Amino acid sequence: MGKAVKFLLIIFVIGSYQVSAQDTTGEESQVQIVVENDNLELNVGDEAVINAKVVDSEGTTLADTLIFFSRNRRALSVTRDGHIKALKPGTYNVFIFKTQQNGNPRLRSQATVNVIYPPLDRIAFNTTPEQLYEGTSIQLEARVYDKLDFHREDLEVDNITSSNPEVAEVDKFGKLRAKSPGSFTITALIEDVTTEWSSEVIANPVTSVDLSVNSDVVRTGDVINITAVPKDQNGNVVQDAPVTYSFTAQPDDDRGPAAPAQIEQDGRFVANKSGLYTIMAKNASTISETTVRVNPRNVSQKIEVVGHGEVTDVPTSDLWVWEGVDGKDYAVTGTHVGRGEAFFWDVSDPENMVTIDTVTVDARVVNDVKVSEDGRIAVISREGASNRKNGLVILDVTDPANVKILSRFDDGLTGGVHNVFIYEDHVYAINNGRRYDIINIEDPENPYRVSKFELDTPGHSVHDVWIEDGVAYSSNWTDGVVAVDVGSNMSGEMQGAGGSPENPKKLGSFTYPSGWNHAAFPFKSQSTDDFYVIAGDETFPDGIPAGWIHFFKLNSWEEAEEVARYEVPEAGTHNLWVKDDVLYVAYYQGGLRIVDISGELMGNLYDQGREIAKFLPKAGEGRSPNSPMAWGPQPYKDLIFVADMNSGLWALKLQPVEETASAE
Amino acid sequence: MKFLKPLFTLVLFVVIAGTENLQAQDYYAYVAAESEDMVHLIHFNAETQQATIAETIEVGRYPTETDGPHGITVAPDGKHWFVSIAHGNPYGMLAKYSTETNKLVSTTDLGMFPASMEISEVTGLLYVVNFNLHGEMKPSSVSVVEPESMTRITDIETGIMPHGSRIGASGKYQYHVSMMTDELIQINTQTLEVSKRFKLSETKGGMSGHKDMDHSKMEHKPVEKPTWAHPHPTKPLIYVAANGSDELLEINTKKWEITQRYKTGKAPYNLEVTPDGKYVVVTYKGEGATGIWDLEEGKEVAKIENSRKVSHGVTISPDSKYAFISVEGIGGEPGSVEVINLQTLERVDVVETGKQAGGIYFWKQS
Repeated sequence: MGKAVKFLLIIFVIGSYQVSAQDTTGEESQVQIVVENDNLELNVGDEAVINAKVVDSEGTTLADTLIFFSRNRRALSVTRDGHIKALKPGTYNVFIFKTQQNGNPRLRSQATVNVIYPPLDRIAFNTTPEQLYEGTSIQLEARVYDKLDFHREDLEVDNITSSNPEVAEVDKFGKLRAKSPGSFTITALIEDVTTEWSSEVIANPVTSVDLSVNSDVVRTGDVINITAVPKDQNGNVVQDAPVTYSFTAQPDDDRGPAAPAQIEQDGRFVANKSGLYTIMAKNASTISETTVRVNPRNVSQKIEVVGHGEVTDVPTSDLWVWEGVDGKDYAVTGTHVGRGEAFFWDVSDPENMVTIDTVTVDARVVNDVKVSEDGRIAVISREGASNRKNGLVILDVTDPANVKILSRFDDGLTGGVHNVFIYEDHVYAINNGRRYDIINIEDPENPYRVSKFELDTPGHSVHDVWIEDGVAYSSNWTDGVVAVDVGSNMSGEMQGAGGSPENPKKLGSFTYPSGWNHAAFPFKSQSTDDFYVIAGDETFPDGIPAGWIHFFKLNSWEEAEEVARYEVPEAGTHNLWVKDDVLYVAYYQGGLRIVDISGELMGNLYDQGREIAKFLPKAGEGRSPNSPMAWGPQPYKDLIFVADMNSGLWALKLQPVEETASAE
Repeated sequence: MKFLKPLFTLVLFVVIAGTENLQAQDYYAYVAAESEDMVHLIHFNAETQQATIAETIEVGRYPTETDGPHGITVAPDGKHWFVSIAHGNPYGMLAKYSTETNKLVSTTDLGMFPASMEISEVTGLLYVVNFNLHGEMKPSSVSVVEPESMTRITDIETGIMPHGSRIGASGKYQYHVSMMTDELIQINTQTLEVSKRFKLSETKGGMSGHKDMDHSKMEHKPVEKPTWAHPHPTKPLIYVAANGSDELLEINTKKWEITQRYKTGKAPYNLEVTPDGKYVVVTYKGEGATGIWDLEEGKEVAKIENSRKVSHGVTISPDSKYAFISVEGIGGEPGSVEVINLQTLERVDVVETGKQAGGIYFWKQS
C-alpha cells in the first residue's frame, strides 16, 4: 500500500509541474519598464541617453538590463545601451527590450523621440528672370531650406505675392503672368522666412510666330518636330521670346478616346490616336497654328504558329537558336526548377521541331543557354547543384545530336551562374548576382578566368549581361544598366575607353527610380541612326508580373535620356531582342509582343498602335495548362522563336502585310 | 484507506492533463524546399506511423526565380514560424509566417545568404547566421532580430561562413560554427557579443581559443569544416558536426576543450541532441544516411540509410520519440522528410517534398 501511495505522489508531482510553471509566469507580470524621459526633443546632431529602468510592483528598481534599438537607424542612431543621436528631423520610436533576467519575464516598451526641424533658413526660386515680355508667363517653384541646408520637402510655399499685380500677377499654382510693362517684386513667405526678387515687364516686340512642322501627315507614334520662330514687326527674330506649344484634337474615334496625344515644350508632338490635330505655338497673344493629319499606324500583322516543341513537365527557361556547322538550324532550351537539363532541338523543319539530345548536369536550374557565333560551343549555367558548387558547363555542339561536355567551370562560381554570354572566345558569367566573371574559352576544355567586373556601390547586384560591338551592357537592378568596354569597336561620341576582356573599363550607367532593371539590349535605330539602350524590368507586386520596357537614348556614354516606354498594363516584362527596328519582348503572362520601334521614340509605345502582333503561348496540358508565361524571344531568319515557361518552344512567323497605311 | 480513491482520481486527472505530450499522436514540423521556394508543413501520425504533407506554402520574392528558403525555426510560443530566404539583390531576408494561417506576416532584410536560426526563450530575440556561402572568404555576421516588430537590431561579426545557429538550454548563449575557420563560436544572447571563440582544429590537445583572437589574420585552411553545433539539453556540452573530417565532436563548455571525438559517416552536416539527452542524431550528407549516437555509450547505435542522397537537417520531437530528417536529393529528384522512430531506431516513413529539402524545425505535438 505504501508503494502505491508513493507511486501516485511521484506521478502527481510530474503531472503538476507545468501548472506551477504557469503560475510563476503570472506573478512576474508585475514588473515593468519605466521610461523617465519619454518624448525627448532633440535638435539634429544632438546626443542623449534614454533613461529607462525596470521596476517591480512596489516601484523598486531592478537590476535587469535593457536593450535599445530603432527601426530608423539612419535618422536616429541608437546604441544598445540607449545612447541616441539625432540625424534627421522627425518623430521616431526607440524600442526598449528587456530579456528574461533574474526570474523576471521579457518586457517591451518604447520611447518617443522628436527630432526638431532646424529653423528655416531661406526660400529659393527655380528662376528669377530680370525681365519678362508682356503677355508671357513662367512657372514659379519655391523650395524651402533650413539652417542645416536640408530641403524641406514637407513644406510648400503657398504665399507668393506680387507687389504690383497690375504688372505681374501670381496665381495660386505659382504661375506668374506678365500683364503690362512696369516693375514688380515677387515675395515668398513661409513662417518667418521671406525672400523676394525684383523684375520688370517690358513691351513685347513679338508680332508673329512662324510655325512649321517636319511633316503634316504622319502615323500614330510618329514624332512631329515643331519649329516656332517669334518675330517682331520688322521680321526680325526675337531670340529670347518664349514660345509655348499646345494642341487641340479631333480624333477619328471621338467616342471618349483617352489621351490622344502629347506635346513637349521642346517642340515634339506625338499622337496615340488617329485624327486631325491642330498644333499651336504661342507667345503672349501671338498665336500661330497648323493642322496635321495623323493616320492609323496600321502595322499589325497576323502571326502564324509554325511549330510547337512541347515541354510541359518542367518549366522552360532561356533559348538560343543557331545555324549549325552542318547548315541546319538548331535550338537549345534550358529548364527552370527542373532536373538540370538542357534540351537540344533540330528546328530545321520548324513545323516538326524535335529534341535530338539532352544534356543533364547536377543542377536544378539551367537558367541560361548560349551558343558561340561559329555554332561550335555552347555554355549552360548551373544553379542548385547538389554539391552547391554550381558554375557553368561548356559543351561541344558541333553535332547537336551528340552534344559533348568539354569542361565544367565552377572555380569561384559556387554561388550560381544565372546568366551567361559568349563573345569572342570569352564567356561572361553572372556570378552569384554580384559581378560578372570573364572566362577565356579559346581552349574550351581548359577555361580560365581573365578578369571580373563588379560595381562598388552599396548593396550592388547584377542580373544579366549582353555584349555587342565590344561593349557589355549589364542589368543591375537599382544600379540600372551599366556599359563596360570589353573591346569596343564603336566610334564617335560612343567610342570606347580602351577596355578588353582582361581589362574591362566602365563607360557609363543609366538608372531609373524603380530599381527593377533586369535586362538590357542595345540597338542603333536603322531609321534614325539614334543609339538606344533598352532596359527591361522584372518585378512582382503582389506576386503578379509587372514592369515595362524603358528606352534610353544615348548621345554619349555620359548622356542618356529616358525618352519612351513600352508598357503593357496587365503583364510584366522578361527578356527581349531587337532586330531591324522591331522589338520582340517576352511579357510573361502577356505572351510575346512584337513592336515597331522605328523612327523617333516618345511616350508610351503601347498606346500608339505600334504593336505588330502578340502571341499567347500555351499548352492544354502539363503542370500549368493554358497559362502563358513567355520567357524569351529570338528572331531568327524569317521566324521568331519563343521560349515559354509552361509550354516549351514555339516557332512563329509573321504573315505578310496585307494593307499598310503610309504617311503620304 | 478511503482517502486513496479520491487521491487516485485526482492523480489520474493531473497525469492525464500533465502528461498529454507523452501520449502525443500528431507531430508537426516545417521543412523548407530550397530549390522549389516552398515550405511544407509535415504531419506525422504516430498511430499509423505515416507522414504526410499537411500544407505547402510558397515563399520567396520572385515567383520566377529560385530565392532559396534555407533556414527555418518556430517561435517558442508556437505562434509563428520564420524562414530565411538565402538569395536577394543581393541580400537575403527573414520572413515571418503565422502558424495558424501559414500566411506571411512580415519580412526584414538580412545579410548575404542567411541560413540557420533560432529564438532564445530568455531574450525573445532571433539569432540568424549570415552564411555568405558563396562570398569572399571574410568574416560574416549573426543578425539579431526582434521578431515581434521584425526589427534587425544588430549584426554581430563572427567567423567565415557561420552556420548552425542553436540556442543553449539556458537561453543565455547562442552557438554556431565558423566553417572556414574551424571555430565554435558562442554569443551571449543578452549582451549581443561574441563571448567565446573556440578553435576546433587546433585543439586536438585540448587548447582553447580566445574570444579576442584576430581571425582576420588566420590562414583559412579549415580541417574540420564544422557545419553545425547543438548544445546538450542538460549538460555543459556542445556537439559539433565536423563535416570536413567526418567527426562528431563533443566540446565541454566548462573546460572549453574537446572531450570526445567520434569518427562518423561521411560528411556529417546537421545534428541535434534529443531533449532527453540520450542520443545525438547526425545527418551524413556525404552518404545519404543518418547516424544515431548513444551519448552514454559513446557509440553509434544505428546508421539508417536515407531514401535518397544529400542528407541535410534534423529536428526531434520534444518527447524524444521521433527524429525528422530532411534529405535534399539531387537534380530533379524530390526532396524528402524521413521519420525515424528513436525507440526502435528504425525509419518508419518517408514523405516526398519539393526539391532540396533543407531547413527543418519541429512545431508541435498533440
